[in-house]
Amino acid sequence: MARRNTRREKLITLALHVGLLAGLFFAAFPIYWMLASSFKTNGEIFALPPTILPHVFTFEAYAAILTDPVKLRFFFNSYLVAAVVTILTVIIALLAAYGFSRFNFRGKAALSTLIISTQTLPPITLLIPFFGLVVSYGLFDTYAALVLTYLVFTLPYAVLLLTGYLNTLPRDLDEAVAVDGGSSWTALWRVIVPISVPGIVATSVYTFLLCWNEFLFALTLTKSTDMRTVPIGIQLLMGQHAFEWNQMMAMSVLGSLPLLVIYLIAQRYFLAGMAAGSVK
Amino acid sequence: MAEVVLENICKTYGNSFRAIRDLNLEIADGEFLILVGPSGCGKSTALRMIAGLEDITSGHLSIGGRDVVDMAPKDRDIAMVFQSYALYPHMTVFENIGFSMRLAGKKKAERKKRVDEIARTLQLTELLDSKPANLSGGQRQRVAMGRAMVREPAAFLMDEPLSNLDAKLRVQMRAEIASLQRQLGVTTIYVTHDQVEAMTMGDRVAVMKGGILQQVDTPKRLYDAPVNAFVAGFIGSPSMNLFEADLSRGTLQTPGFSLQLPETVLAERPALRKYDGGKIVFGARPEDLYDSTLASGRSHQTVPAEVVSVEELGSEHVVHLRLDATPVDSGDPDAVEELGGLSNAVARFEPASAVSADSRIDLAVDCAKLHFFDPGTHLAIR
Ligand SMILES: Nc1ncnc2c1ncn2[C@@H]1O[C@H](COP(=O)(O)OP(=O)(O)O)[C@@H](O)[C@H]1O
Ligand SMILES: [Mg+2]
Repeated sequence: MARRNTRREKLITLALHVGLLAGLFFAAFPIYWMLASSFKTNGEIFALPPTILPHVFTFEAYAAILTDPVKLRFFFNSYLVAAVVTILTVIIALLAAYGFSRFNFRGKAALSTLIISTQTLPPITLLIPFFGLVVSYGLFDTYAALVLTYLVFTLPYAVLLLTGYLNTLPRDLDEAVAVDGGSSWTALWRVIVPISVPGIVATSVYTFLLCWNEFLFALTLTKSTDMRTVPIGIQLLMGQHAFEWNQMMAMSVLGSLPLLVIYLIAQRYFLAGMAAGSVK
Repeated sequence: MAEVVLENICKTYGNSFRAIRDLNLEIADGEFLILVGPSGCGKSTALRMIAGLEDITSGHLSIGGRDVVDMAPKDRDIAMVFQSYALYPHMTVFENIGFSMRLAGKKKAERKKRVDEIARTLQLTELLDSKPANLSGGQRQRVAMGRAMVREPAAFLMDEPLSNLDAKLRVQMRAEIASLQRQLGVTTIYVTHDQVEAMTMGDRVAVMKGGILQQVDTPKRLYDAPVNAFVAGFIGSPSMNLFEADLSRGTLQTPGFSLQLPETVLAERPALRKYDGGKIVFGARPEDLYDSTLASGRSHQTVPAEVVSVEELGSEHVVHLRLDATPVDSGDPDAVEELGGLSNAVARFEPASAVSADSRIDLAVDCAKLHFFDPGTHLAIR
């Protein structure tokens, strides 16, 4: 009996590993293909049969992007918009979350339901109304258009995330500050925020990624090449004169790099329990 | 330094639950008052109202002669030690202790001088640069004390400050806090549900139950003259044994035994006469019950009892017994039911006692030490 069981278990384990490997291949191959293609010449990309490893390994595509001020501008725009939105989101959401977490006020439940309900609308349904608003305020084709619309999408989630995080921090800490002679404002900035770093990092990463990857609103609310962001820039490489596949891939790699770096830096904050030692 | 006066303080949570009813307390300047009671009785609520962390529904509160009802915690000149310690986890011990001085805009040199002084008193000097996460439970407790002391407040408020420590450390810190308080002479209100802490630490003890103050007195008076059956049962460990009986012509009668009350007992408690011919509740502390085969027990009346179990502690034997009488519930929700209902009384015998489980013995009762309570109101009969 026991023996048959272990043999069966081994088979199951084997099948599991095979399945996982298949999954890994499925997920990783496009990324590999992107990397490999970015180091090929544009001609080799169309070679038949396709080459798994670049025959001619070249930085040609990267050089083309990094020396072109128009394309560098896409990166600058993406960084600027994502950074501004992230900073504003975290500051506004922290204040709102502290209110939700620590104070009782009339309409609190209704307000938090309202915040959640904004998340149920598919963003595309808001595209036309936003376009109308942005144009009528004279913000079309400006950074402000992107920053303001992105805030609408990042804030509700950030408020919920941070409220949840602040709820895990003991109220005794706020009360200790009150007894020590500080206001709620002091408690928030001097104690709660410093120990909320993991929650703030998580919120920032989420917000930054959302802005960095956003395509639809960036496409609709901007027009001039100067105002375009990286996702639009990648698309612009398509079909001007020819398909610059190797440049598209190189730009995608360059576009993914900050996300990778941010994720690696942020990771250690997710793991560390920053609030450890305050209680008990 | 200051006295703290509570007058007719009431607290109603969410417009319905009455957590504190009509609390009157006067804590003298420099006094160490213990607020004790089973969990949920409103101790923390009372303390938090004094601290200003909870609104006072009605009543007056003054600290050092100033009416503080509408004042914020920081203006009340109090310091609080939280059950969880609530240390600021991102600050060092130095910064934790010095935080209130920093908020008050004190200069770094002044802060350093004061924090160093307190660290020396509390033996924290070596740890000033550590973060709370790297401290042991006892050290964190001391940092919490330091944070309170640095403010030189009119009153210390402490909410079960030792409940997160292990038993041994608790005994040690109990003594440290008590001696520190005597040394500083600062009015202190100390909340606990541990009646041993209550009996050993404070000048006076206030016993609460269900949001109502039962008795405020010195530990000795509480023990010797509890005002009602609840206080009698709550104070003392093991608890006082409480039974129902009929009283007729100075004799307590239960289904299984009778005890003749000595003349002195009747003379000392004139009110007992009114209960003659009716029901009464009587109580006997475990140390007022004796092994009748030993010298200490010979002179007392005896009642038959069944030994359920014996705990030999070395210094004494805690003997769980079954008597043929109806036990009375003191109303302490924390009271452990005696061995799942097998026994209904506890006695503390000298270690020389040879009684063993499952035997029948004659239990000697020191009738001069009995307590008496009204069967309806549970108030003490004096
Ligand atoms: N914020 C609150 N809202 C409603 N009820 C509360 C609140 N805080 C405490 N209570 C209730 O008040 C009673 C007393 O609580 P508490 O003062 O914490 O008791 P203790 O400290 O003696 O254990 C309890 O029954 C508790 O459930
Ligand atoms: Mg409590």
